[in-house]
Amino acid sequence: MSMTQPGAGSTIRSALDAARQELRAGIAAGAGGRAALEQHAAHVDALLQQLYRDAGGAERPVAVIALGGYGRRQLCLHSDIDLLLLFGARIGPPEERFLRAFLHPLWDIGVVVGHQVRELDEFVELEADNPEFLLALLDARLVAGAAPLFDRLREMFHTPATHAYILKSLLQLIEARHARFNATLYQLEPDVKEAPGALRDLVAARTIAALTDPVLLRRGPADPGRFEDAEDFLLRVRSILHLEAGRNHNVLSHPLQERTADVLGYPGSAPRQRVERLMSDYFRHARTVSRSLEWARRTAPVPVGPNLGLSRDGIRFLDPVLAARTPASWVGAFQAAIDAGTEVTDEALSCIQQHLDRYRAEDFTPEPRDRVGLLRLLRPRAGLYARLSQMHDCGLLGRIFPEFDAIAWRVVRDFYHKYTVDEHTLLTIRNLERLMTAHEPSRERFQAVSASLASPELLVLALLLHDVGKWRDEEHAPESVRLADEALERLQLPREARETVRFLIRHHLQMSIVAFRRDTDDPQIVKEFAQLVGTEERLKLLCLLTLADIEAVSPETLTPWKEELIWRLYVDTYNHLTQRYGDELIERNQAGLMELLAGRPNDLPEADVTRFVEGLPQRYLQLFPREAIYRHVRLARDIRPDEVHLSLEPVDSIWTLAVVTLDKPFLFSNICGVLSSFGMNILRGQALTNPNGLVLDVFQFSDDERFLALNPDAHAQVLHVLQDVVSGRVDVTTLLRGRERGVLGRIAARVAPIVRIDNEASGRYTILDIVAGNAIGLLYRISRVISQHGCDVDLVLISTEGERAIDVFHITRAGAKLTEAEQQALTSDLQRTLEGTQ
Amino acid sequence: MKLIKSIVRPNKVDEVKDALAKLNISGMTVTEVRGHGKQKGHTAIYRGKEYNVSLLPKMEIEIVVADSIVEDAIKAIVQAARTGEIGDGRVFVFPVLESYRIRTGEKES
Repeated sequence: MSMTQPGAGSTIRSALDAARQELRAGIAAGAGGRAALEQHAAHVDALLQQLYRDAGGAERPVAVIALGGYGRRQLCLHSDIDLLLLFGARIGPPEERFLRAFLHPLWDIGVVVGHQVRELDEFVELEADNPEFLLALLDARLVAGAAPLFDRLREMFHTPATHAYILKSLLQLIEARHARFNATLYQLEPDVKEAPGALRDLVAARTIAALTDPVLLRRGPADPGRFEDAEDFLLRVRSILHLEAGRNHNVLSHPLQERTADVLGYPGSAPRQRVERLMSDYFRHARTVSRSLEWARRTAPVPVGPNLGLSRDGIRFLDPVLAARTPASWVGAFQAAIDAGTEVTDEALSCIQQHLDRYRAEDFTPEPRDRVGLLRLLRPRAGLYARLSQMHDCGLLGRIFPEFDAIAWRVVRDFYHKYTVDEHTLLTIRNLERLMTAHEPSRERFQAVSASLASPELLVLALLLHDVGKWRDEEHAPESVRLADEALERLQLPREARETVRFLIRHHLQMSIVAFRRDTDDPQIVKEFAQLVGTEERLKLLCLLTLADIEAVSPETLTPWKEELIWRLYVDTYNHLTQRYGDELIERNQAGLMELLAGRPNDLPEADVTRFVEGLPQRYLQLFPREAIYRHVRLARDIRPDEVHLSLEPVDSIWTLAVVTLDKPFLFSNICGVLSSFGMNILRGQALTNPNGLVLDVFQFSDDERFLALNPDAHAQVLHVLQDVVSGRVDVTTLLRGRERGVLGRIAARVAPIVRIDNEASGRYTILDIVAGNAIGLLYRISRVISQHGCDVDLVLISTEGERAIDVFHITRAGAKLTEAEQQALTSDLQRTLEGTQ
Repeated sequence: MKLIKSIVRPNKVDEVKDALAKLNISGMTVTEVRGHGKQKGHTAIYRGKEYNVSLLPKMEIEIVVADSIVEDAIKAIVQAARTGEIGDGRVFVFPVLESYRIRTGEKES
């Protein structure tokens, strides 16, 4: 049922007929160009506004919006009228009544309406599967209805992310369209809308400019006047084609060429001459369009972040005035440059340099996300050194880190150093970057170490600050730590990360001293060095820092000879840390324990802390920050047989699961099995036992399938299943059945598995070293085999290096090391499991 | 005049230098070298995998001394570089026919 008045249809029809008649007359006179089409669009606007009022649109929040060509006020005679009907609220029966009342009269009089109906909320998410619609929306224009609704739409739609997506899609659409025409504009019968150099290309060039740099075309190969002449010409031709064909026909075929040449009044006695003149004009205009589009495609900055564009010469600020006001966005420019494998443009650097003095260090990282952004910038990868050098050259690096500014151009005279302290520092970062990215067979062993770092940006931060104490002549390492503390305070790094950076700076010379000047064949020297570094992670960081630091002294300083000495110390210390640490237990009255007791929160009695910590391996105190240890003590309180106490917490994208229970067979393997059954990827782990039979297992894993992130009750579900499995109420193998055939079977085949047993390294345990391709369920499979052989898992170290999993198990059987026969049986079973033959 | 070439553990270089300084021997050439003697390296294990460390890093110290102090120099080197373990190194003594100072061109006796 139509809500319009009887007779309204005929009024509209006659209004439309009159408008079309006017346009036809213009076209026939050769004047169907921009002005005529604008006039026609205005007539249609008026007609739609009338319809909107008649349909009762004013009574509800709805906007009638012109899209595409109609939005640009270039409505050709037989073009579709593209509309967006936008509702502010949920579409219900009254809205549907409005739609019918508005659209039916148009259909009745034979107008082809390309309409889209949307609720405003639908624009919260990008319609990524419909790039043509998004492109048409760029030309959106309010014809009738609620202006605030239209403004909201513009606000939601015009975001850097949407613009970037549209631009990318547009470039793909252009490629595909050109391919249909064999990518040449010189067509004998060109399509004046779609062909290369025709109307769509013209709009595309303007769109690219609008999305990236509004004045782009002004710098292009064609002056704006010629570009507009081309537009008017193409529109006049297209109008004639519509008029002659009586429909939306855009191909300038041979017969229509003659007709068009006549309408446009080309001189010449024979039709052929007139056509040749027309076509020569056509190709001239098409070439103007084509060259402008090429220029736009080549030079337009691609939006890559807030106020950031990627252009041919690098990353630049799209709006330099805005950039000058927002220093927190500057680091983003360098980040974007690294991501895009390019540099920051001179223009952007000058902008930074010019406004730098107005800001203090804090102004560059005012929000947590800015501080996270700065740390992310420091992740070692190709381009980091070059971008940090640019930051240093324009003064930004020294402004963000005034500590670093103090060593700019600082000269320290000795026999070794060849560069100023600031350049030496930046070169250390370049060396690390090269180590991690370049393929150098001689460096593979160190490269593997670097690939396993959990937070390589902390290493870069330590490198950046390791020599800042050299601003004065005395011993520099303690002074560097003092200055670094101020920088770390500003960055508000978590305590653990701060301690790691301080440690690296304080001891940055220690590894070379021990490697080159001490007798590393002496186990006592290695033991002392192992005690200094404490954990494998710190050992790895210090090892790479040492290497990068020596290499930055001069091109000749890091010889293969020195590399070998560093590597040997690294291996000996690593082996000491991973194989002998179970022999050194925490004793009552030792310093670390006393500190722990002194700093304990009020709710933890001294006896609880002592009972839990005493008898655990020494390393426990180094592996975990104090807050985590107190959490573990709380978990262990009042635990009874058959009870399992758990905590599960995320830090960034990594989850930490702590499990405390009294020793149970298959405990470790059961936990691994449960985590695998939820698709969790176990990255690191520690299993520790104290002499009272108390077991603490700590796992760090990533939730690659986003189970925990996407399901609100997932956290509780995981804990519940763990409780059930560990206490024996549920069998983990049934949980895993679904995954057995899938993920569990797929162990990365490129890594040949290694199983090695050592009965000598530790005084108390048999050490089992396993290296295998990482896969979900791997640990479960390994630990199940160990448990099936009646062995107790007393200590475990789990780590991953890319696709390689490195696990060290400290095991016993009935409280003793394994016999020769037991070792052999276990090794061959494990080997079969890892090779997938069992 | 003799050339004394000694191969020592890297961490012993400073001690050897100090011992030679006591004999007023200060001119020397120190080179990073790799090699093995009877010790023939050993196998190390990293992450379950054995790898052979056959060429061990050593330091080579070369000095040229008058015949009169050759014995003392050798004694000083051996004492300073000794740990008593395999891999302590070697000392070789060569005759030196002539020696010239490049700056002046003068022949040294």
